[in-house]
Amino acid sequence: MLMTTSAKNQKRIAIYGKGGIGKSSTASNVAAACADEGYKVMIIGCDPKSDSSITLLGGKRIPTILDLLRQNIDVREKDIVFEGYGGVKCVEVGGPEPGIGCAGRGIIVAIQKLQKACPSMSDMDLIIYDVPGDIVCGGFVAPIRKGLVTEAYILTSGEYMPLYAANNICKGLAKIDTPLSGIICNSRSVTREEEIVRRFSEEIGSRLVAFIPKEQIVQDCERDGFSVLEKAPRSDIAHVYRNLAKAIMFNDQSILPGSLDDERLRELTR
Amino acid sequence: MMGKELSIIHPRPSSIVAALYTLRDLNVDVAILHGPPGCSFKHARLLEEDGIRVVTTALDENGFVFGGRQELSSLLEKVNEMFKPRLIGVVGTCASMIIGEELREPVEDANLDVPVIEVEVHAGYPDNTKGVLITLESACEVGVIDREELERQKVLLHEATQVEKRHGAASRQYLEPSRGDVKYKVAERVIRLLQEGRKCITIMNAKKETGYMFADITAAVNEVALALGKEGNVVNMANVDDSLGLPRVRHHAKCIAADLKERGITVHEIIGGMDEYPVTGERVNELIKQKYKDYDFALITGVPHAIPMEALEGMEVISVTNGPRQVLPLKEMGHQHVIVEIDLHPKTLGVNHIVESEFGATLREVAKDMLGK
Repeated sequence: MLMTTSAKNQKRIAIYGKGGIGKSSTASNVAAACADEGYKVMIIGCDPKSDSSITLLGGKRIPTILDLLRQNIDVREKDIVFEGYGGVKCVEVGGPEPGIGCAGRGIIVAIQKLQKACPSMSDMDLIIYDVPGDIVCGGFVAPIRKGLVTEAYILTSGEYMPLYAANNICKGLAKIDTPLSGIICNSRSVTREEEIVRRFSEEIGSRLVAFIPKEQIVQDCERDGFSVLEKAPRSDIAHVYRNLAKAIMFNDQSILPGSLDDERLRELTR
Repeated sequence: MMGKELSIIHPRPSSIVAALYTLRDLNVDVAILHGPPGCSFKHARLLEEDGIRVVTTALDENGFVFGGRQELSSLLEKVNEMFKPRLIGVVGTCASMIIGEELREPVEDANLDVPVIEVEVHAGYPDNTKGVLITLESACEVGVIDREELERQKVLLHEATQVEKRHGAASRQYLEPSRGDVKYKVAERVIRLLQEGRKCITIMNAKKETGYMFADITAAVNEVALALGKEGNVVNMANVDDSLGLPRVRHHAKCIAADLKERGITVHEIIGGMDEYPVTGERVNELIKQKYKDYDFALITGVPHAIPMEALEGMEVISVTNGPRQVLPLKEMGHQHVIVEIDLHPKTLGVNHIVESEFGATLREVAKDMLGK
């Protein structure tokens, strides 16, 4: 079992990437893998769909911070932090009704509440912020702006659109002076995919930290409400997640990313 | 290529405030600010002094996140029950507009038998007349004003914006507020000029309700001239045409004209309506050229910077404004004396009669000392 890191060395990471690319699934499997290694882990789902923690909680949805704020409840830790697989502490920010209000502002409010109401955050070895989609507004980037995140990872596939989003996120990270710790490829079985994403990573000055092959078992476990680490711990893909978890926990390389022009991005994916 | 717009960094009334005042001029009974409780507080309170109810949905942090549709429709029902209004206005704020609230659905939810003017406005427009325009367009949609009046107002609003950009509060990136010249010194000068038999034009070019105070200056000059036996040397111009403008604006013109008449003061030239202050300059120019070329000095009140200097050529110009940021532009235009009526607005809201001005009172007192009367 690995040694627990001190609070000073606490890892606070955000995972960005195009919507639907698999951020929540990756985040929850990394959280589970780290928990298996004995780390104290918290996962904070910032997506209004609240799908970051569901596979760590046996398919159950938990009350979100914004659910409680909507009811004017004075939020306390026990109301919003729920223990899931391997002792992973799960928090969901939630969001307003579709088409009403402002999810970005919701994230700002929720993380402020979380900081106040949740002293156990400081005990964690790893805090994962599962951020919705691209960096599209000030609210979505709030975990970084408020100093809660120290490293960012970008999830992409080798397709043009996810890479376009990844490239945009790089621009955003550079603008807000936040280092990028690596690119994770969540495969969609595209031709030359690993090579494409590796070259993209290198050209923006970063590196590919993991290639997650497309495996039906991930979907199957998710449908049952579990992480791969819990439901299929001996599968090859579980091993991939374990390696990714290790790479994250031991990663000490990060850079302010560059970005590519659109023409180069298209060339890469051709 | 379009020139870059000047970025104004001194505070100015916002489009939200402009929308509220326009709703007031349309005679709404209640204006609902859909936003945080403190939005536009000072003006909202002033407008309450002017007889309209201003209430707020008081959106809080929860409202910003989840929206305030329910709060707005409930408030519409509540104000309808409490105040029995004949006309309601709903005004957006920065908060509600940024989160994408739209006002139509809550109004439909409330389903009142009272017309509601919906104004989707925030304070982020460089020209605050945008708030007026949005309000008037919405009022036209509801049938509160007709298309002809809307088009007329659009022309006036465009001109008002241009006047402000040429010589007004939008003419420079930063304008230092100033109290202008000392009032008793200027009063002394006016009295001396009248004593010397100089011929005077008073031009009241007042914006709406501010006329209640600026008219007092016209009255004071005429009183002093009368005391000196020089009343024949004074000609009065004023924008008190009561056939033009939104309902409340026409009412102001009627009240002010009646008050001046009651005081025995003749308005020799009506130069427009009380919403026409940005376009009266041309009329004044023509009148002076035709009839008053040999006049020695002009005392202009209200929006003096809308009167072109061409019209005032050869005259000593004394102007009275209620804008502390207007002093420098007026001096730069060539007005020799510029004074400011501070706190004019709070004193002219909710009134139907001429209100004593500081400069009018000073003129009267200095005249007493100088003339021994």
